[in-house]
Amino acid sequence: MDSHALILIVLLSLIVNGNNCQRTKDKMFSSIVGSSCFKRLNATHETGCTSSYGGSVGVLHYIKTPDDFEFVLKDPPSPPYAVMVTPQLFTREYLIRLKDSPHISTIVLIKSVNETLAQFSQELKCPNQFSGIDSNSCDIDKPETIWNPYGTGLLHENFPFPIYYVSEEAEIAKLVDCFDKFNSFDVANQHNRPLCSIQVNSFMSAAVNSEVCLRRTNYANNLSATRFCDPLQSRNIFATLFPRETVSQEDRKVQKDEKLVLVTARIDTTSMFDGIGAGAMDSLIPFATIVSTAHLLAKLLPEREASNNSNVLFVLFNGESYDFIGSQRFVYDINKGYFPSKIQATNQISFENIVMMIDIGLLDDLHRFTVFHVEEFKAATDLVKLLETYSQKFAFNISTTSKVTQNLPPTSAQSFLRENRTFPAMVLSSNPLNRFYHSIFDDQDNIKFKYFNTTQDFTVAAAINNTMGFPADSIQMAIRNASTVLAAALYEKVTEHTYRGNQGSNLILIDELLYCFLISSDCPLFRAAGPKNMPARPEAPPPPRYVSVQGLYTHETARWTFRIFGFLIGQTVPIEEQNCTVLPMFWFPGFNGTGSCHYTTQNFSQAYSPAFVEENYDWKSGKYSTWTESTWRELNARIFLKPSSTHEAKTLAVGFVVMIVSFVLVFLFNSKSDILFGDCVSSENTLTNPAHC
Amino acid sequence: MTLPEFFGCTFLAFGPPLAMFIFTIAHDPIRIIILIAAAFVWLLSLLLSSLMWFAIVPLRDFTAFGLVFSVIFQESFRFLIYKILRKTEKGLQEVANSPQIIANKHILAYVSGLGFGIISGLFALMNILADAAGPATFGLKIGSPTFLLTSSTQTLLMILLHTFWSVIFFDSVDNSKHAKTAYVVVSHLFVSVMTLLNTSEMYTLTIGSSVVVTIITGIMAFITAGGSFVTFKRFATCK
Repeated sequence: MDSHALILIVLLSLIVNGNNCQRTKDKMFSSIVGSSCFKRLNATHETGCTSSYGGSVGVLHYIKTPDDFEFVLKDPPSPPYAVMVTPQLFTREYLIRLKDSPHISTIVLIKSVNETLAQFSQELKCPNQFSGIDSNSCDIDKPETIWNPYGTGLLHENFPFPIYYVSEEAEIAKLVDCFDKFNSFDVANQHNRPLCSIQVNSFMSAAVNSEVCLRRTNYANNLSATRFCDPLQSRNIFATLFPRETVSQEDRKVQKDEKLVLVTARIDTTSMFDGIGAGAMDSLIPFATIVSTAHLLAKLLPEREASNNSNVLFVLFNGESYDFIGSQRFVYDINKGYFPSKIQATNQISFENIVMMIDIGLLDDLHRFTVFHVEEFKAATDLVKLLETYSQKFAFNISTTSKVTQNLPPTSAQSFLRENRTFPAMVLSSNPLNRFYHSIFDDQDNIKFKYFNTTQDFTVAAAINNTMGFPADSIQMAIRNASTVLAAALYEKVTEHTYRGNQGSNLILIDELLYCFLISSDCPLFRAAGPKNMPARPEAPPPPRYVSVQGLYTHETARWTFRIFGFLIGQTVPIEEQNCTVLPMFWFPGFNGTGSCHYTTQNFSQAYSPAFVEENYDWKSGKYSTWTESTWRELNARIFLKPSSTHEAKTLAVGFVVMIVSFVLVFLFNSKSDILFGDCVSSENTLTNPAHC
Repeated sequence: MTLPEFFGCTFLAFGPPLAMFIFTIAHDPIRIIILIAAAFVWLLSLLLSSLMWFAIVPLRDFTAFGLVFSVIFQESFRFLIYKILRKTEKGLQEVANSPQIIANKHILAYVSGLGFGIISGLFALMNILADAAGPATFGLKIGSPTFLLTSSTQTLLMILLHTFWSVIFFDSVDNSKHAKTAYVVVSHLFVSVMTLLNTSEMYTLTIGSSVVVTIITGIMAFITAGGSFVTFKRFATCK
C-alpha cells in the first residue's frame, strides 16, 4: 500500500480491523514465545548467557542430525547462524564447540515431543562442590562419588550468545516452517536469497563477577539507580511441632534445657531457563515428604505427652541450589543469636538446643535410603534402626542403610557440618538416579505423577491400610510410605516410646501438594490454606521454585509454604474468626471453606547470603554463597526474513543512482530553465546567468 | 529493513525532491515559506480526512471510501492555497527580493506543489521506514521482498505528481480551463485508487499506471509552464 491508502491506513489503523490495517512491522516479524537462559555471577565467575545489546541475530539452521553441526561449524555461507537443536543434541560436547565457534550467534532449543530423552541435566556432576565440607570427596573421575551422574555442567558455563528455549508446539511449528520454506534447500548457495532468521533479545547488564557488579550497582559509585545485578535471596520457612514459649522481646535468651530435633529439606530448585523447571524429583519429593511427615506428626502429637519431650523444628531451606544460601544464613543467624528473629518473641535457639538434625537429601529412589553421616554417633544408628523397624512393621518395602563418609549428598547438612564437624547431622538420602536434575524436564512426567483429584479431605491422618484408590506403584504411595516411616521414627524420638497407632500420612494431601507445585497453583490445598475468598485463577501456573531475587512478585513459593505449614502443623483452636487475628492465631478457610482458627508455629527466616551482610567480606574466601543474578530489560525473540546481501546492495545502488541522476537533471533544468520554458526575456535565473540563446 | 535498504529507499524516494529543493527553493526565503505553508495546508487536509474517517464509523473498514474523500479534501485544499497565494501576491511583491516570483506565476504553483508532495511523501513513507526498522525485510508472512522498493518508487512518483498537478491546477484556475482542473482531480483519484491494488500485491500494475500518469502529467505541466517540443530540443542541443 502506498501513498494515500497508506497514509490513511497507517495513521488511523490502530482502531480499524481489517485486512489492510496491519502494521508494517507485523508483516515483517513474528514473535516467538519462549524462555531464555540468563546470567548469574558468583565471586569469581559469570555463568549463563547474554545476547548482544539490542539482540543477537542469526540465520536459522535446524540441526536434525549430528552431521548438521559440521555445516554451521565449518565455514558456512551466511554467518552468523542461529542453530535450532533438540534436547537430544543439547550436549556438552556440541555446546562447547558451538560456544567456541565464531559463526554462531544464538542457540534455540526446541522441545521434541516424539523422541524420548535419555538424560538432560545442566547442573554440575558435583553440585555445590566448593561449599560442602570436603570439596575433594566428590570427584568427577570416580563415578561412585558423584551426586549428579548425568550432569553436563552447562549451567556453569559462560556463553557469549543467548540460548532460547521454545516449548509450545505452535511456536516450534513457526520456526520449523520458516526454516523449511526459506532455508532448508540448496544450503550451499543460501546466501543469495532472503533467509529466515531469528533475533533473540536477552541482554544481561551484569558482568565480570558479583563483587564488581555489586560495586557498580552501589549508588555511591554510579550516582544513579541503575542496578546491574541482585543477590539471590528468598526466605526459609520453619515451624515447630509444639508451640514454643512466648517471651517478651527483652527477655529473649537461650534456654539451655530446650531440646529440638531439626528436620530439614530444601524448597528451591533451578534450571537453565527463566521461569521453567518444576524440580519434581530433585526437590519436590523431599519437600512433599517433609510436609506430610510434619502433618502426620502434628496429627499424632497435638501436644507434648510429657513435659521433657523434645520439640521438632521443621525447616525448609531456600536457595540451596546456589551454594546453600538458606542453610548458610541459618547457621550464621544461630551463631549470632539472631534466630528466630527478634520480632518473633520466642527464645533464641543455639546449637546446644539441637539434639540431632535429619536432613532430607535426594529421594530419587523412595525404597532404598541411606543415612549419611560424617562420624559414627548413636542418633544415626538409632534412626536407621527405627526406619528399618517401622518399614517392616508397616510392610512398606523400604530398606535403610547407614554410611559414614565425607562424601555427603549436596544438601543443607553440609552447612552445619562445615561450621562444626561434630554436629549430629545426618542426611537421609538415596542414590542419585535423577536423569533431569535441575533441568526444565524434571517435571511431573519424570516422577510419573498422575493427579487423582479425589476431592476428599486431605487434612486428616489416614489409616495405613487404606490405599484410597492409589496404585501401589504411584509416586503418592511411595512418598506416603517414606513420610509415614519417618514420622513414626520421629514420634519415637520425641515421645521415647514406640508408635503403636495405625495412622499414616494422607495420600490425598500428597496428591494435592504435588498438584499445586507441578500443575497449577489454583488447587484445593492452596485454597484451603490461602487467604479467605481467594478468586479462582484457572490455568494459573504452579509457583516458581527458583530462589530468585528480592522483588514484588518473587518468593511466591515461600509465601505458600508458610501458609501450608501454618495450616497443616498448627493445631485448631476453638476461637471465632473475629478474635483470630493476632499471631500466632491465624484463620484459614480450610478444606471445605468453613474456616478454622489455628495456633500456628511457622515463621520465616532470611535466606540471604551472609556474604552480602558482612562488612568487608573477603569475596575470594569461598566462605559463603556469593551468587547474584543479572538484571535485564527484556527477554524475547522474533523471526523474520533477512535480506540477502545482493538484495541490500541492489536497493542501495538504485537509491544512489536515482538521487545522483536527479541532482544532475534538476541542476541542468534549473540552469537552463529559461530555454526550457521558452521565455528568455522575462525569466531571470538567480543561480546562473541566463544562457545565450 | 537493514541499514543499506533504509538508505536505498530514502535516497530513491527523497533524493529527487531534495535536489529540487536545493537547486530551486533553498536560495529564496519566500519560496521556503511558501513551501512550508503548502505543506501545512496539506496537513490540514489530512486532518479533515482523518476526522471524517473517524466520524463515519460504519465506513471505517472501507479504505476506498476514506481514500476518495482524502483526495477530494486534498484538491480542495490545493484550491485553498491557490486562493491564499493569489490574495497575498501584492504583499509578496513587497517583501520578495526578486520580482520573478510574481512575474512567473508558475513558480508559486511549483513551490506549493512541491510542498504538498514532500509532506505527503513524508507521511506515506516515514511510517514504513520507521516501522520497518530492524534487521528484517518483507516476505515472511505476506508481502514481497520488493515491497520497500515499490513503496519508495510510489512515494517519489506521488511527490512529482503533486508538483505537476499544482502547476496545471493553478494555471487552469487562472485561465478557467475547467477540463484541466478536472484532469488533475481525476488523475489524482485514479492514481490513488490504483494503490488499493497493492493489497493484492499487484505492484507492477500500480507502479506502471502511476509512471504513465506521471509522464503524461509531467508533459502537461511542462507545456503549461511554457515548454514545448521546440524549447526542449533547444535545451537538449543548446550548449
